[in-house]
Amino acid sequence: MTVFFRRIAQTMSVLGGVVLSLVVAITVLSIIGRTGNSVMHSAFAQTNFAPLAQWLLDIGLGPIKGDFELVEAMMAFAIFAFLPLAQMTGAHASVDIFTAWLPRRAQLVQRILIEALFAVVLVVIALQLKEGMDSKLRSGQTTFILGYPLWWAYAASLCGAVVAAVVAVYMALVRVTEGVTGRILIADEMGADH
Amino acid sequence: MSALDIGLYSLPALLALIFLRVPIGLAMFVTGFAGLWLIQGTPNVAMARLKSETFSQFSNYSLSIVPIFLLMGHFATLGGMSQALFKAAEGWLGHRKGGVAMAAIGACAGFGAICGSSLATAATMSRVALPELRNYGYAGGISTATLAAGGTLGILIPPSVVLVIYAILTEQNIAKLFLAAIFPGLLAALGYLIVISIYVRLYPESAGTKERIPYRDRFRDLVAVWPVLLVFVAVVGGIYGGIFTPTEGAAVGAAGTGLIAWVNGGLTRSSLLESFLTTARSSAMIFFIVLGAGFYNGFLALSQVPQTASVWVVSQGFSPWTVLFIILVFYLILGCLMDSLSMILLTVPIFYPVIVALDFGLTPEQTAIWFGILVLIVVEVGLITPPVGMNLFIINAMERTTPMVETYRAVLFFVASDIIRTAILVAFPMITLVLIS
Repeated sequence: MTVFFRRIAQTMSVLGGVVLSLVVAITVLSIIGRTGNSVMHSAFAQTNFAPLAQWLLDIGLGPIKGDFELVEAMMAFAIFAFLPLAQMTGAHASVDIFTAWLPRRAQLVQRILIEALFAVVLVVIALQLKEGMDSKLRSGQTTFILGYPLWWAYAASLCGAVVAAVVAVYMALVRVTEGVTGRILIADEMGADH
Repeated sequence: MSALDIGLYSLPALLALIFLRVPIGLAMFVTGFAGLWLIQGTPNVAMARLKSETFSQFSNYSLSIVPIFLLMGHFATLGGMSQALFKAAEGWLGHRKGGVAMAAIGACAGFGAICGSSLATAATMSRVALPELRNYGYAGGISTATLAAGGTLGILIPPSVVLVIYAILTEQNIAKLFLAAIFPGLLAALGYLIVISIYVRLYPESAGTKERIPYRDRFRDLVAVWPVLLVFVAVVGGIYGGIFTPTEGAAVGAAGTGLIAWVNGGLTRSSLLESFLTTARSSAMIFFIVLGAGFYNGFLALSQVPQTASVWVVSQGFSPWTVLFIILVFYLILGCLMDSLSMILLTVPIFYPVIVALDFGLTPEQTAIWFGILVLIVVEVGLITPPVGMNLFIINAMERTTPMVETYRAVLFFVASDIIRTAILVAFPMITLVLIS
């Protein structure tokens, strides 16, 4: 089971990473297009190689239309897709110096409570995101420039949110099992950096 | 109970949760949620906020700079620039007393210019520099402490993830904050070089010697680091020059370092996947804290705590410098327990209104930027202060033969240099502000 969930969490993270790389690519291409466009419009280009400049402009050399909106939707997907792995690997920053001296039993109970709280929060987040998506679906709200329905972006994000909620519930169950058996099943990895 | 009371009681409640090891983002989220519920007498408003708030926080265009910078840092690591930087710095500094350690600092500063993260800088440079330091007979403590301190240059020298978050919280210009961080960052590097030179004179047995390298080779090695300079100028210059937005600048940097990594053969399938996974963990952690902080700070603002605190501090007639001093000391202490981003997200919404309400003889924008740089420095000290400085742990995990106590002892010299530098920057705000005025 753990292997299965870990695989899913990693796959989501890699998907998020690929989307993040696409964000980088789209942004850079848009900058190149924008710069190229203004160069081709410049007096220098228009006097020295007007036909070439015109041809480039005609085939659509310019910034990517609505790049800003694409980036926002893709980022939301990526971040939600990153959540399950953080959940599985204990990447969330916490202060453990005051509780490290607690007896082992107490620490096991503490891990159950924290993970259960996290599970509740992530389930609520996923459910409310679904509500948010439904309301965008009903209102038919679209984005300003590209005009795609906003609920698409919500739907993409919901994938990550649902997986994160499921993983969080699973992790809470793992902690309960650990509490009952007294044996650590999934140890925390070193905290994530920034 | 009035809204203000609820807001005031929420602070100890939040701290209690955090000290009970509840993840900081989760603690802020839960406290903020409960606070909104108490103030409004119903959970409905907080629940309704959740329908769109997670999406809008995670899709925030300004915040998208954070994961892109993290990815850029990983690409920079894969690109082999750390070796080139260290070699160049070693050529110029290596033969001096403590020179190889100085070279590690120089290389960290260079790496910091293309990496916005302290831990990534510490980990990357340790891989390159620790074996060299051992080869030339440097003692364990000074080696690990140097790299832990050098790692903080990753975030002190722009680009810097912490500054991005500060800029968003206080609605300041990211480009100006980056520019303002340059001199304090260089001052930090200089301070660390002085620390090393003092340390090896106090403990001569802690450092070995290295032969001089001819100038021709030195220049050759220096020229080899041109891609680092190019990426730095493109990113920071481009953002400041208004050629692109900070997010676009980060994308250019990620593409640039990605290209370098690819050309140098560092970008393999497995290393790329590894970069994605680490970026995922860090980004998820940061964004969850941002989400929790958004909830908590929204609740605090509703309870009027920040406004009341700022009015109270001003009406008490404290000297602005006393208030600043207390805040900075508070950060230094909290930094021994908590990581830098959490600390900033937790405290800046409360401290910032207080600071800008006080008169330091600067314009509001200057005060905001100067305070941002000071906060950046004091929270980063937390990365190298015992007992829980993250940089110390990272390096200790890579260098098992050096006992933690030895690292602790040597790192105190660097902490002292950080504190002296903070005092200098407090006394002379112009060091920070000269590039933006």
